[in-house]
Amino acid sequence: MSQAVIPVLLPQGFGSEVSSAERQAAAEQRDAWNAVDQSVETQSFWVGTGKRFLRNKTGVVAAAIVLLLAAASVLAPVLTPYDPLLGEPTDRLQNLGSSGHLLGTDEQGRDMLARVLYGGRLSLAAGFIPTVGAAIIGTVIGVTSGMLRGVVGTVLMRFMDMLYAFPAILLAIAVGSSLGPGLSNTIIAVTIVFIPPVARVAEQATRRVVVQEFIEAAHLSGASRWRIARTQILPNVLNDIIVYASGLVGVAMIIAASLSFLGLGSPPPAPEWGYMLNSLRGSLNTTPLVTIVPGFFIFLTSVAFNMASDALREAMDSRL
Amino acid sequence: MVRLVIRRVGLAIPTLIGVSMIVFILMTVVPGSPEAGLVPEDATPAERQAVRNQLGLDDPLPVRYFHWAVDALQGDLGRSQQRRREVTDLLVQAWGNTFVLALVSAVFGIALGLLLGYIAGTRRGKLLDRVISVVSLAGLSIPSFFLAIILLALFAGGLKWFPSGGASFDDPVTAVRSLVLPVLSGSLITMAITARVTRAGIVDVFGADFVETLRAKGLTEFEVRRHVMRNAISPVLTTSGVQIGALLGGSVLVETIFRWPGMGLLLYNAISSRDLVVVQGATLVIALTFVIINLLVDLLQAGIDPRVRGAVA
Repeated sequence: MSQAVIPVLLPQGFGSEVSSAERQAAAEQRDAWNAVDQSVETQSFWVGTGKRFLRNKTGVVAAAIVLLLAAASVLAPVLTPYDPLLGEPTDRLQNLGSSGHLLGTDEQGRDMLARVLYGGRLSLAAGFIPTVGAAIIGTVIGVTSGMLRGVVGTVLMRFMDMLYAFPAILLAIAVGSSLGPGLSNTIIAVTIVFIPPVARVAEQATRRVVVQEFIEAAHLSGASRWRIARTQILPNVLNDIIVYASGLVGVAMIIAASLSFLGLGSPPPAPEWGYMLNSLRGSLNTTPLVTIVPGFFIFLTSVAFNMASDALREAMDSRL
Repeated sequence: MVRLVIRRVGLAIPTLIGVSMIVFILMTVVPGSPEAGLVPEDATPAERQAVRNQLGLDDPLPVRYFHWAVDALQGDLGRSQQRRREVTDLLVQAWGNTFVLALVSAVFGIALGLLLGYIAGTRRGKLLDRVISVVSLAGLSIPSFFLAIILLALFAGGLKWFPSGGASFDDPVTAVRSLVLPVLSGSLITMAITARVTRAGIVDVFGADFVETLRAKGLTEFEVRRHVMRNAISPVLTTSGVQIGALLGGSVLVETIFRWPGMGLLLYNAISSRDLVVVQGATLVIALTFVIINLLVDLLQAGIDPRVRGAVA
């Protein structure tokens, strides 16, 4: 930095015979220069995004809710003494706030708070893992077919289009009922549902980037395709994909909850929120509030993810 | 326009074939032997093999797909052993009920979404805009089956305004009454998405230069908005096809809760009893309906918006 600045500040010809006073003057000028420089210092994109995100109150609240729910479900054994799987047959269908059971008990006398907390692990995993998985696989497929065009690209995208031709929930149900019940199968099903749309976003972004001059420059400088994909294309398409994928977490949660509602999630007695809602349906008229609890948590988490995603999108759009 | 129709229909055919292949493969890789339900428990291996041969279960996959597809094209989707009925018969009955529910939900949700999106978009940043944004975000996040349960508790259990389930088309009043709750719970998400897309479209178009020109020409605000609406409607149409698909898929949940005798309830019951022939048939028919609806929406959009027509024809 200093080497770049001094020649500009000092007139020609000073060369070797610089006095100490002049040297100091130059140093002061340089410091002043740097001080000015600092105020216009470039900010990394993610630091800027983070700052803008933190200014958005809704986004912060939403992110806090998500973190709180995640922490609570991880710390479930500390937060509740009850076993989520074992109920007290004499304590069936206690209402909200009954003694010892803050959120009541279900039709088998199991503590609802414990079930909600432990169930949060399953439901959050079912929302998060498929989104991350589909984002990675979809990006690979989309960038590949965006770069390669030709037969490989066309075949890949045609196949994506065929998967995309299914209504999302229906495809998840079809894959889920083919694989059979279970959390890992739910995660696979939801991942498969999300790969085609992510691949589409990635492919379109790649096509936009791949025709630009700096890609040609990279080609001419002898970079391999893999290197171009990694260093030139990926950083330029990642924003689109992150914005898109962040909006999918809430949807993933709802689809996963739908599968478990239909009995395609973790087999009972696992406390998955969607399954809990379905098994409590029969008690709707006796203890409606207890029945609504698991649904409320699905809703709360999904709203929080959607709000956080909206805030992230706004924060990443530096023009706003 | 004729060229466009031919082109689009031509493009839809490989998609239809692909969809049928995916449905076929999904239901073929299922663990467990398909003949298990057809032979007695104490059948000898030879008897089992006879049944397998009869069903062609040992043929190569492409051959089995081909037979299945040819049968399906002739309206034969197999026979449900559990129900002792032809799958096609079951589906024909159910298809109409689902179609009525999905159509009414789509019309209701899209119309309400357009209205809310228009109100929000033309009052950007005002209180009403904020309220509508919050409502549509909530609508986006609430699972239809949860909403259905709340509506049931309130209006069928508590207030007894509407029936808690079933479909009856005997007279118009009971038909409407049996439709209200399923339509409300299914269409909220449609309304939410439509409202968000409409609002975004209107805000976008209001920023365009031609709006300023219209104002400069001295058009009234009402006329300006009419122009804006025409330009903002295209993305709404694009999503509406997807919306109808979501309603068809979501019917599995809504119909299950309201015991609506459509394809969704059929699919749910078939999943519960592992009646895979029915799962396969119902999945295929719902997916095909979705592809065809998307095709129709595409063509409708091309008919309305000359930019879309120009881009692909």
